[in-house]
Amino acid sequence: MIIEQLPIINLLLFLLMALFIPLLKRKPFKITLILGFVVLGLVFISSVYLLWYVNNVGIIIYTFGGFEARFGIEFVVDPFSALFTTIIAILAAIIYIYSSGDATDGIEKTEYGRYYILLFLLLMSMFGILYTNDIFNTYVFIEILSITTCAIISIKKKKDTYTSAFRYLMMNELGSLSYLIGVALIYMATGYTNITLIGESMSNAFQAYQLNIVIALGFMIIGLGIKAAVFPFHIWLPDAHSSAPSTSSAILSAIVIKVYILVFVKVLFRVFNLEILNEMSISTILLILAGVGMIMGSVFAIAQKDVKRMLGYSSVAQMGYILLGIGLLSFEGLRAAFFHILSHGLMKTALFLSVGEIIFYKKTRKVNDFDGLGFIMPVAMGVFSIAALGMIGLPLTSGFISKLNLGMAVLDKNQTIFLVILIISSLLNVIYYLPIIISAFLKNEKYHYRLESIEKTPRTMIAPLILLGLLIIVVGIFPNQIMVFIESAVRSVMP
Amino acid sequence: MDIVDKIIENINYLGAIALFVIGLRIVVLHSNLIKRIMGLNIMGTGVFLFFVSIGNVTGGVPPIIYPDSSGAVYINPIPSVLILTGIVVVVSITVYSLSLVIRIYENYETIDQKELSRLISEEANDH
Amino acid sequence: MNDIIIKNITRIVIPFAQIYGIFVILNGHVSPGGGFAGGAIIGTSLILYTLVFGREKGRKKFSHKASEIAETGGILIYVIVGLIGLVVAGRFLTNLGAGFPEGVIGNIISGGMIPILMIGIGIKVASTMISLFNLLIDEAI
Repeated sequence: MIIEQLPIINLLLFLLMALFIPLLKRKPFKITLILGFVVLGLVFISSVYLLWYVNNVGIIIYTFGGFEARFGIEFVVDPFSALFTTIIAILAAIIYIYSSGDATDGIEKTEYGRYYILLFLLLMSMFGILYTNDIFNTYVFIEILSITTCAIISIKKKKDTYTSAFRYLMMNELGSLSYLIGVALIYMATGYTNITLIGESMSNAFQAYQLNIVIALGFMIIGLGIKAAVFPFHIWLPDAHSSAPSTSSAILSAIVIKVYILVFVKVLFRVFNLEILNEMSISTILLILAGVGMIMGSVFAIAQKDVKRMLGYSSVAQMGYILLGIGLLSFEGLRAAFFHILSHGLMKTALFLSVGEIIFYKKTRKVNDFDGLGFIMPVAMGVFSIAALGMIGLPLTSGFISKLNLGMAVLDKNQTIFLVILIISSLLNVIYYLPIIISAFLKNEKYHYRLESIEKTPRTMIAPLILLGLLIIVVGIFPNQIMVFIESAVRSVMP
Repeated sequence: MDIVDKIIENINYLGAIALFVIGLRIVVLHSNLIKRIMGLNIMGTGVFLFFVSIGNVTGGVPPIIYPDSSGAVYINPIPSVLILTGIVVVVSITVYSLSLVIRIYENYETIDQKELSRLISEEANDH
Repeated sequence: MNDIIIKNITRIVIPFAQIYGIFVILNGHVSPGGGFAGGAIIGTSLILYTLVFGREKGRKKFSHKASEIAETGGILIYVIVGLIGLVVAGRFLTNLGAGFPEGVIGNIISGGMIPILMIGIGIKVASTMISLFNLLIDEAI
């Protein structure tokens, strides 16, 4: 019965790793790094095994302390949580390898230990959010996640990080408290905090306490919308993500905001059900938010001169794509959204890590300074180009597949207007990504770099970048192998 | 007098909502950073009051089993237990944001949001 | 602060406060209170000491390293108790099923693992309170 224990063992491994880092302070830092890598490797193996197990044998339900689900906390590993924990483990392992090279820019040597403590707590809370089947437990993990995220933003001892971390904290706390009041209202109406039990009694509760449920849904959408940087609530994101160290920007942009949107999916489809959502025409609200976000995120991104802020605004636009898929409330839409979560995770990680390498060696964040960089940093700029083309949605990349699926899903629901918005948004992506690629590879007037002067970068930084570039293309060429898992995840969310 | 009765009956919920809204107003509209943290605490208190009052049972006793207390009406302990976690979270958020405010004050010598934005935009223009 | 009255009163009050904190922790499962409340009382008494006698003396009484160990130890107690449940009964944090003694209702030794967890939580909360306080006053300097 060891397989049943794997989810809790995953969480405990992260927690114990975070606990032991301060005790290893006197030892060389390499030991901590290797131990952390072993932990990540073990968690990765166990998540892959769980993914195989839930897809072929059956879902795992684990209650703590042997209490029944009504009173206790329940972990559920189904195709949905298993798939996304695996994706998180892959991305986290790649980012971890990258950060173990000396590229954790802006962090002082003495802060390294703290950085990794926060990283492992971050991973623990994300795994917890995905595994848990209890809306209050989700709140607890969300709070751990937002505090550690905020700490990881402010770990750089620079002026502007403090203000952006403060703003992030305030906005996120508003979101958490809104979510909590939603939990309270649902508990009031149903008497449960367990998601499965709430889902069963939701229809009755909706008849009896309609006001409660409507207000709860509103609070939860706003709360999670703030945390997931859905368009009108996005103002904290560009500051926070651009002032963090590059590796943590990659984690924040590629994984953390996705986790919130996954909680959003869980709340919409498992806590509430499709009938209630249709009755309140939630679909329209979400689609409008998504459409505005897709356009406005890209428009703001065009105006940015700082490349990391540009990537931050691009994340806002991409969250719009994901929300569009969810807002359609259909099987195809959710499938496209899930696929885009994966492909955007890969592409944003690649973008932030390659930009991180450029910032580390060239000490510049201005878009204009990318002239001719392709000649001296071919790997970083090459991976950047692949990921940027993926963002635009060129064939052979994973971005194309997700946009194709999204377009099909939109047409399926006869929302042609959103197809137009999708295309406009892609064209806007071209406007801000393509000039960077062109100036990096085709222009070389500013500095006159030569091919011989290729920067020597550590292998631990190059290898993850190449791996990410390959993954983007492989996922783009063979999407069907992954689609199997995504479809079963969608089926487990949407009965 | 129907409405007065209703208000008296639901005074805890009304109080909770009032606290929530007061806190929200302070967080969003005040420009003093420390007052915003206070607003966050007030907002949190509103939510906690709301949550705890769900679990109240009129005439109930604390849910601890004594050998001689069979047949007593207990209040629902689950909301109180859940809110204990919430209180811990808000305390840690408060401490963390206060330490951030100290750092901000060291660097900019102001804790006023408007002043801060002005300083930051001036700095951005200098570069 | 060099006020002799405050110093002497603090000297007298602190032992009682700490003993009361320990009492609340140990009685957490038979009366209202518990690890969090008791830990907060102990932590507050340490904060009072630091406030009255200054940061330096406070650091001597409860050093940074001690608080680090106490924080880690508090969580470790919790995790280890949970793991005992996992190994023996197959569920994390199993209480009576994992062989913890049930005891007589109303006694201090009852409720299985809950007193042990309360002690862990108490240690963790007390050390967290004092280290958060120290963090804030260190920042202010």
